[in-house]
Amino acid sequence: MPTEHATEPIQDSIPKINDEVAVGTDMEFQKRWWRFENALWIFFLLIVIAALLGGFGRGWLAHGKMQANDNSIAVQYDRIARYSTPSTMTVQFGPSAIHDGRTALWADEGLVKNLGLRTVVPQPATSFLVPDGTVFAFPSLGDKASIRLSLEPQSPGMKNFKLRVPGYQEIQGSVLVMP
Amino acid sequence: MVSVIHAVCGYLFLLLVLRALTRRPGAQMTPFEFVIIFLIGGVIILATVGDDRSETNSVCAIISIALMHRLISRWKLFSRTFTALADGVPLVLLSRGEWQTEVMRNASVQQEDVMAAARVKGVRSLDQIKYAILERTGSISIIKNKD
Repeated sequence: MPTEHATEPIQDSIPKINDEVAVGTDMEFQKRWWRFENALWIFFLLIVIAALLGGFGRGWLAHGKMQANDNSIAVQYDRIARYSTPSTMTVQFGPSAIHDGRTALWADEGLVKNLGLRTVVPQPATSFLVPDGTVFAFPSLGDKASIRLSLEPQSPGMKNFKLRVPGYQEIQGSVLVMP
Repeated sequence: MVSVIHAVCGYLFLLLVLRALTRRPGAQMTPFEFVIIFLIGGVIILATVGDDRSETNSVCAIISIALMHRLISRWKLFSRTFTALADGVPLVLLSRGEWQTEVMRNASVQQEDVMAAARVKGVRSLDQIKYAILERTGSISIIKNKD
């Protein structure tokens, strides 16, 4: 038994130019496309400019600073970070927050989980969990009085964090994590 | 799951960028344009696989891209508008001895490109060409005067 295939008679369905060559061009569509294309390149250019300025992280626009009203801590961080990409937060302790060279930093769950806290430099002498976060205790920071936190966000979106020296004023910040 | 989303987004973004790069990244590519295409592909790979170098991740990403390509190909069969969006439409570059300058400028095609395509067909001079058409694939079709 012969196998049957679906068939269709030939039709002159491709539009011709000058009534002699079947090209199927569509200049109306093409002109609209060129307009879209021009807008797209402007959009791409704006993206590149924003990227150069740090609008998507790792640049001038991305750097943020915060300071507690009581000057206990000042924080330098990336307001705009990138998913699964390391970034650094520097916490500077004010003189009032250091007692005999010792101090401590409380960080909420947002910093540890949402912003993916990896390491703390210098390494804290102890760190312990409290109901609303983690406390890092530093026995002697010397004159430098600053620590660096390495972060690596594990999901995109707006991530909030809170920091304070126990007994002092709390500061809150937000980091936009780009996908 | 993330790699599947990244692969689909990467595929669609690549489709848009290559489409917007005009018709030159096709059969008329120069060696430098070849390098650009590979460079773009390489950058997309980084975001697609991320730091997960497992076979599961690469297999999922490859299947996602293959499926996207299959879907797009099938969609083209049923919609001329979508085909025009994804692949463009053929453009007449030269018609009855006249350059279509607006088309050529917007498509970034030079007269030399047309002549190069004509030489492949054994055409010695421009006056032997009746029509030159930039095809959706990026190649230039030449219809001679005597045809």
